[in-house]
Amino acid sequence: MAEERKEAKPKKRMTATKAAASIGPMVKEFITGTLQAKAEGKQKVAYTFIVCHHEEIFRALDVIPVWTENFAGICGAKRDAERFLQRAESLGLSRSLCTYALCGIGFDQWREELGQMPPEAPWGGQVRPDFMISSGQILCDPRSKWYQASQQFMPDVPIYNIDLPYPLFQENRDHREVLGYYHQYIVKQLRGLTAFLEEQTKKKMDYDRLRELVDLSDRTWNLIDETYKLRRAAPCPMGTGDAMNTMVPINFMMATQKAYDFFVDLKKELEEKIAKGEGEVENEKYRLMWGGGLPAWYALNDFNYFNSKGASFPVETTYRMVAPLNEMDLPETKDPIEHLAWRWLGYWTFWYDKAKKRPGSEPDVERLINWIEEYKIDGVVMHEAFSCRTWHVGLIWQLHQLAKIYKPIPVYVIGKNGKKEKVYRELPSLIMESDIIDITSYSEVDTRNKIDAFIETLASIRSNRAA
Amino acid sequence: MTKAVILNKGIIASIIGPTGPEQRRLANKVMEEALNQAALTIQEITFIVATGYGRINVPFADKQFTEITCHARGVVHLFPEARTIIDIGGQDVKGIKIDVSGKVIDFVMNDKCAAGSGRFIEVIADTLGVSLDTVGDFSLQSSHPATISNICTIYAQQEVAASIAEGVPLSDLLAGVHQSLADRICRMVNRLKVEDSVIVTGGGAKNRGLLKALSEQLGHKVLVPEDPLITGALGAALMGKEIVEKARQNNTPLETKERILGAVEIL
Repeated sequence: MAEERKEAKPKKRMTATKAAASIGPMVKEFITGTLQAKAEGKQKVAYTFIVCHHEEIFRALDVIPVWTENFAGICGAKRDAERFLQRAESLGLSRSLCTYALCGIGFDQWREELGQMPPEAPWGGQVRPDFMISSGQILCDPRSKWYQASQQFMPDVPIYNIDLPYPLFQENRDHREVLGYYHQYIVKQLRGLTAFLEEQTKKKMDYDRLRELVDLSDRTWNLIDETYKLRRAAPCPMGTGDAMNTMVPINFMMATQKAYDFFVDLKKELEEKIAKGEGEVENEKYRLMWGGGLPAWYALNDFNYFNSKGASFPVETTYRMVAPLNEMDLPETKDPIEHLAWRWLGYWTFWYDKAKKRPGSEPDVERLINWIEEYKIDGVVMHEAFSCRTWHVGLIWQLHQLAKIYKPIPVYVIGKNGKKEKVYRELPSLIMESDIIDITSYSEVDTRNKIDAFIETLASIRSNRAA
Repeated sequence: MTKAVILNKGIIASIIGPTGPEQRRLANKVMEEALNQAALTIQEITFIVATGYGRINVPFADKQFTEITCHARGVVHLFPEARTIIDIGGQDVKGIKIDVSGKVIDFVMNDKCAAGSGRFIEVIADTLGVSLDTVGDFSLQSSHPATISNICTIYAQQEVAASIAEGVPLSDLLAGVHQSLADRICRMVNRLKVEDSVIVTGGGAKNRGLLKALSEQLGHKVLVPEDPLITGALGAALMGKEIVEKARQNNTPLETKERILGAVEIL
């Protein structure tokens, strides 16, 4: 059967930090841990999505979250997603839907059909959940639809949906006017989740424990922010390639001591590298920003290719799902659930005030502009994953808007007649096109040809600058 | 297509040959023809630059640059006022933004789908039984361009075939096809904030119907080099010339490959 054919293993990507290199075994341990927990039956396991600010509630009730996007990403990174995508296609689902969801649905259908894991399932496979927590948030629609589709094959597995909205940015409206309503609503949603988990686990929520876990997450948030800001150093000690690994403790391990300790170690490692002048790239020539889009998990080696051309990636917008809490001005509360709701709103509205001060700006564009300056960025790279509508729609618009409103420091170039001319340096951008896990959309030759041309463009701009 | 340009003070040879899977052998063949035209031997060539998708498969090249850099260099040589270049090839379409000093400052490429490249016209021309050389002029006879709604080349081919059966005039169909391709090209290059002068190169630049549609949709006049197929090769030769001049100026040695144009075994 075609769907049982596996693709060739990808070449291992080189990491700049020891911390990033330690992530692979950590994820494997987590996946096998979920299988073991299910077999032992002592803890409930639940499918769910990242960036929902609900990990603390899960962990306080000893529920193990199974991050279904993560498992699809693993299949992609191991170049073993195609057979699950084909399964989903054979169920009548279009390849243009979210390929994370397709991979997960294909896997679930196969596992349920067999009554056991599909053959050679990556890292032992994705565990059958006790229940599924979906999320009808603004972020993306598969978050509420995916599990409904999977439930066709697991009719005995209940779904609980939490709704997590936030006020969308409007230039002429103060979001604070409506924040209270949103807060009340989200608190109600999280309390509903708590009640559902209590019912499923037959346990009562220990609010002191929940408060401790929320505090641990808050400290981890601030620590991550401090750690990532170290990447402003030149040469940059850690790039986006590594950050696609270190996103694991941020997004899958929040509210655990392990995640906090991971960033303690990473911070120390980066400080040591900076002290020694060690960069991600030996001879850093260009500093690039990963300006958005989920990565092509099967092609993370492309970051090494950029590195081989002297390009480092000091910052990325993708998966940096934390912001400094001390800059958020969150209302004081002793209720951990109320705090989670404030933190949720604080994160999503973090750039609103700054964006309002710059005509034509928007929060996502404002973040790009701020980081271009703070991290001394020479160019922006984005990835349009065709199957991710959430990211896809906004990326080109962000680049357009960036080009329209961002006026960096003027530079002088030597014009055709040999005279100096004052121009505003335009920030070159590269849009790569493929998918998160569908490798059929990717061409290494074309991608690297584009990278070569982009590097030549950066070199051309650099050589053109005159004092 | 595989192209070669030999430069001295001006262009002394310019060859356009076919491309295929045997890129190495074809590079040799085109180079041989160019040398014959210039009445030179390979040993007499000071420096060789290769460009394009097959640039790493040119065994005798001393240096490689991408087609973005080379197209820009070639076009700026011919049109110093160029600010936007649109290269419409059979395999891809490129948009290049140039600054006042003639340097590349941004670019976009469509290399994923035939529908956004010259291949789209080739396939449709074939379906309609019209030679590629005449599709452009033929389309200019249209008074009511047809609407081609499919963006997939294969589906568009079927749509065109069905339209012929319905009696839609050939010129209207061809005009619609050109408008459809121009629309896709414009959507891509508009990201660069198109500025005058706009230069169109590649095989697509030889198609007057496509140029008209492109100019109308861009809202800019478009200029075309005398030989729009060789701008990339010309740019590569100019890049090579610059390297040689710089080395001579700085009195540094030139790193070159062994000058052999032997038969290459294709595995």
